[in-house]
Amino acid sequence: MNFHTSHRAVVGFAFFGYLALTLLIAILPAASVQDTPGLPGVAARSAPAEQGRAIYLREGCGYCHTQFVRDLPLDRPYGRATVAEDYANEDPPLPGTERTGPDLSNVAARQPSDTWHLLHLYNPRAVVPQSVMPGFPWYFEVKAAAAPGDVVVPVPPRFVSAQGQVIVARQESRALVAYLLSLRQPEVPK
Amino acid sequence: MVQRRTQDPTLRPSVTADPATVRVTFEYLACATLWLLVGTAAGLLDALKLNWPDVLAVPWLSFGRVRPIHTNTVFWGWSSMALVGLALYVVARTSRASLWSPTLSRISLALWNAAVVAGLVTLSVGVTRGPQEYREWVWPVAVMFAAGLVLNGVNAYMTVATRNIPEFYISNWYILGAFCFLTILFTAAYVPLYQHGLGNIVIQGYYMHTAVGMWFTMLSLGIAYYAIPRILGRPIYSYALGVLGFWTNILFYTLIGAHHFIFSPVPWWLQTTAILFSVGMMVPVWAGGCNLLLTFRGASGVLQRSYAAPFLLAGIVAYVLVSTQGTLEAFRTTNVYWHFTNVTVGHSHLAMYGFVAFVIWGAAYGLVPRFTGSEPNPILVGIHFWLALVGYMIYVVSISIAGVLQGFAWVAGEAFIRSVEAAEPMWLWRTAGGVLMVASHLVFAVNVWAMRPGRSLAATPAAPAVEASA
Repeated sequence: MNFHTSHRAVVGFAFFGYLALTLLIAILPAASVQDTPGLPGVAARSAPAEQGRAIYLREGCGYCHTQFVRDLPLDRPYGRATVAEDYANEDPPLPGTERTGPDLSNVAARQPSDTWHLLHLYNPRAVVPQSVMPGFPWYFEVKAAAAPGDVVVPVPPRFVSAQGQVIVARQESRALVAYLLSLRQPEVPK
Repeated sequence: MVQRRTQDPTLRPSVTADPATVRVTFEYLACATLWLLVGTAAGLLDALKLNWPDVLAVPWLSFGRVRPIHTNTVFWGWSSMALVGLALYVVARTSRASLWSPTLSRISLALWNAAVVAGLVTLSVGVTRGPQEYREWVWPVAVMFAAGLVLNGVNAYMTVATRNIPEFYISNWYILGAFCFLTILFTAAYVPLYQHGLGNIVIQGYYMHTAVGMWFTMLSLGIAYYAIPRILGRPIYSYALGVLGFWTNILFYTLIGAHHFIFSPVPWWLQTTAILFSVGMMVPVWAGGCNLLLTFRGASGVLQRSYAAPFLLAGIVAYVLVSTQGTLEAFRTTNVYWHFTNVTVGHSHLAMYGFVAFVIWGAAYGLVPRFTGSEPNPILVGIHFWLALVGYMIYVVSISIAGVLQGFAWVAGEAFIRSVEAAEPMWLWRTAGGVLMVASHLVFAVNVWAMRPGRSLAATPAAPAVEASA
């Protein structure tokens, strides 16, 4: 068998070698950790929060916001260090690779106000002037007057194009807020 | 002073290549160029949105939807199609044969184009697997792509298997290897059986890393091992170093995906293994990079005359730089300062643009006129080179500074928004670099059109070839 004249030898070795390495470094380790159970006492997400998570995935929020707190001093503001159990019922989990915005693992503890979140989703500049986050105005409705049961968002006048109108949260934005408010790190038992 | 290459006696045209192979390669390149324009327009739009976040605030053009459109179109549309188009030509030429089945590769191209279009549409309307980088496409789209991949792999393998010379040239090691590797890693990424919870993160690290290292890097090196000796008219510096680079790349590159999740709950031994072999990566990188760079030694005459050689030289220099940077980024200490910052964005553009795109351009300008008989305007090629080079250097330097500033702000414990404010001016520079890059792609599109086959394909003079397989 000569590697310089036998394409079968090179391709065979490369294919099965790579397959073996893939099993060893990715598939077997993944299989061995995938069944880590969740933390005790963690309730399943509510239906609106589950729908909110689907919107979070659809809008690509996870490209700029991590859900992955490291055991490092600079990550202290975001909560305790993430453990394997935190990802147990996440499909897919959203650790992220970039923090153009802050980590959201424990955002509900940091920012529990639903009104703040709705304002922030309508136009982030309404609450954080320097923010570069996109707004999601398509999850809100502009109305002449609020109907009974409407969730009116107190958007400052300069962020409303037609004066005298009210901004009402659609069901999607309320679901997204329900998801964000479900992001609260449970305690890790000692 | 750039001269018309075919007027240069040291750089003779190929013996006439088989027209079917020529057309297949050109069709791949033409489609790839279209996706380059679409994919980088998406990238530029997202860059602008960090400067002016309220511009074009409509769902299908929002930042989070455009980002995967940018990455996937550039990965699977532009880079993959261009590399495979050139690879099919290399496979046929080094086998002294025609492509085994041009039809098979045409079917693949149709499947890939369909997948990229379907990917564009689905991601625009928010049909996605979530932010799992480079595997956002839902499975029907991924299956179309995978089918095209396997068909092309079979075609490349059969072309080599029915070759008319006994030797199996080093380019083909890399190219056939790449088809095996992407088939395996793409399948591993989409099969859900072991991807619950943390399992998904283990696979994500492996996948996003080896997609770059075992597909784009392997194909780019395979093409470089053909194009550089071909254009310089001299053998590669060391065949043995090319072989060493191939096997060590497989061993080390495969094991280091977990370095994307340092300090995570991913098993500690996996992270440490990844860091260790990230250092090991210096072996294939310096073996391969220096091998190709040493091939340029003493060829400054060709560098001055050829418009393809400078692209290839810049590409290989970027390969060595970006891989060395990758090793440095893997350490736990540097991870504290650089991870989650824009340094990563600079790194990925240095790889996919500075290395991969420049190798594609060098090989395209160096090889396509040889087989189509049509040359682009050398001045326009020069404009492409300088716009792209200056553009991406501005891009990479400014975005990396932005990343370093973000990291410093976080380590200093400042309020999060300070890291946004620190990066803002650099993001403006990044956009400026991006404008130059996109402008260079428009020039490239004009040049691709000028290189189209047909006008003088039959009239190409048959001259004795200086084959690469020395």
